[in-house]
Amino acid sequence: MNFLSPRDVLKQVAAALPEECRGSVIIIGSLAAGYYYFGDDPESQVRTKDVDCMISPHIKAVPAGRIVAESLLEADWRLREDSEWGEPGAASTPTEKLPLVRLHPPDTKEWFIELMVSPASPADSGKNFIRLETRRGHFSLCSFGFLSLVEEEPILTEFGIAIARPEMMALANLLHHPSIAPESMSGLIEGRSIKRSNKDLGRVLALAYLATGQYEDALRDWPALWATALQNRFPETWPSLCECAGAGLRQLLASEADMEEAGLTSAFGLLATYNLTPRMLRIAGLRLIQDAIEPLEAMARQ
Amino acid sequence: MPPRLPTDRTKTDLGYEPDGRWRDVWVEVKPRTHSFRNVRASLLGMAYLLANEPGKRGLLVLANSRITEKRLKNELHLVERTLRPDVAQRLALVIEKDHGYVGIPDDLGEDFRAWLDALVRQETRDGKLRQSHYAVLQVLLHQWLLGKGPMTTDWIMKTIGCSYPTVASALRRLDHVLIRHSDRRVELRRFPSEDWARLVAMSDEARSTARFADRSGQKRSPEALLRRLMRLERADLAVGGVIGARHYHPDLDLAGTPRLDLSLHCPAKRVDWSFVERLDPALEKTERRDEPAALAVHLVRRKVPLFQPGEGGMQWADPVECLLDLHEAHLEAQAKELLHFFSGKRA
Repeated sequence: MNFLSPRDVLKQVAAALPEECRGSVIIIGSLAAGYYYFGDDPESQVRTKDVDCMISPHIKAVPAGRIVAESLLEADWRLREDSEWGEPGAASTPTEKLPLVRLHPPDTKEWFIELMVSPASPADSGKNFIRLETRRGHFSLCSFGFLSLVEEEPILTEFGIAIARPEMMALANLLHHPSIAPESMSGLIEGRSIKRSNKDLGRVLALAYLATGQYEDALRDWPALWATALQNRFPETWPSLCECAGAGLRQLLASEADMEEAGLTSAFGLLATYNLTPRMLRIAGLRLIQDAIEPLEAMARQ
Repeated sequence: MPPRLPTDRTKTDLGYEPDGRWRDVWVEVKPRTHSFRNVRASLLGMAYLLANEPGKRGLLVLANSRITEKRLKNELHLVERTLRPDVAQRLALVIEKDHGYVGIPDDLGEDFRAWLDALVRQETRDGKLRQSHYAVLQVLLHQWLLGKGPMTTDWIMKTIGCSYPTVASALRRLDHVLIRHSDRRVELRRFPSEDWARLVAMSDEARSTARFADRSGQKRSPEALLRRLMRLERADLAVGGVIGARHYHPDLDLAGTPRLDLSLHCPAKRVDWSFVERLDPALEKTERRDEPAALAVHLVRRKVPLFQPGEGGMQWADPVECLLDLHEAHLEAQAKELLHFFSGKRA
């Protein structure tokens, strides 16, 4: 993974997109968080290799995704090299066997964008794939259960594309991991296999740390924003989601081994230019529970 | 250095409370105890506590005792034969004599000894008498600063929660600055500068101040801590220090607020420190005086806290506490200014 300037990458992605579909793109993940919290600081960079682009809203995902993918391919963006997923599929290829749209810019292979989509309905809680037919072949767009939350009030950047709100990315990750699951990430970090839950919940801790650094009471604003988003996106189930939002994080904080993995991924990614000790990261988690998760749970009980 | 005491119900249900805690070591000081009957009751209480808390150790300190080292060793031998080994191994008996200690486990270093000295001073008769004297002085000062007029000995006794002889003794020592009215009520004649200076000099010990430092790298401001304090709705906590001083004297000449000072009312030995973690999980108690504290908590041991009700469930520490807080934070100029403010109001 490489150090990237969030501002430079956003600018490059936006420039490669046709103007009419920039409004359909929301950048999520560490690059979005990096731009939000330290986009103005040329010294602060994010260490990542993937730039997650969500095509939004869901109803426009396929037509907009097609334009985005074709425009980038036209601009000589290349499909990421991969022995298994390196070529587009055909009409006969089953959707789950199609490659994701993972394209790196013409001038570098250090990073790539990945197109994603929000779930079709609140009931789609797992991982789903949608077929995306382009002039270059068939791809798939991936969606995750709580990804729709990042569509809440995205922040429009100066480049015409939007970034997801950090607190919504945090909430999506919290809900996606109600416990520490044993599944590991496909790649290694610092040569180590890391649980996916620890990486994603470590991201939540990093976001909490950065939010507090920007404004000491920032986390106290999150529960109201979270509750509104959950009511909008999950009108039937929002109280139970509020109740379980902190379960995985509490489990993480209770396990030294899992916290160590969370700390490693944070230090290797979003917080790469910060000197955070494991204890500081743990405090960020405890503050998040007190300031945001407990009030959210209380809202659900009212 | 304040004693840290058992806080949860399990400990209090034992009917036993040690006098202080140093990291993982509970300590009880037994002053002027010469018989093993009393010692054994404490040993048993400590053993109960240690059985409940597997990670902790216990130290029973006999101060000014005639018990010899030889008898102490015999008693320890009995303890080892009687108690469960995992409890007995964590229990130690110490004799304090001539400002030295016999029987302190080797791994407890100079920091512990300094802390133990303070605890022994606090728990011995002289220490308690001194504390009562300063408690009376603080109450007299409180009434004087706020211009409340004379008070009866009975009122002082009830406010502090002590006996008539204790108050009478303290009042005799303060006779040079007292007005004794014909109806036996008393009040300060003037600000007792010398007694005040002595109280300021030993206020750490008298008030058992605990300091907490930030460990997050993102220190919360005193105002942010205050906002969280208000959410706790604790009746035993009041705001003092700079913020409290500004409540009484809004024009206090100081830019910013260096830390949050709280007065914690705990007339019993037991101190409930759980609120600190609720104010900020980043706060950790520090014994280092050179480390900047984000929070200072001063124990108010008298029966009536003399807190003043504020808005939103908040309470204000009394002006004497605020003055002592300013001195403790080395804000001497501000302490002087606050004192002049009150004196000016009286004039």
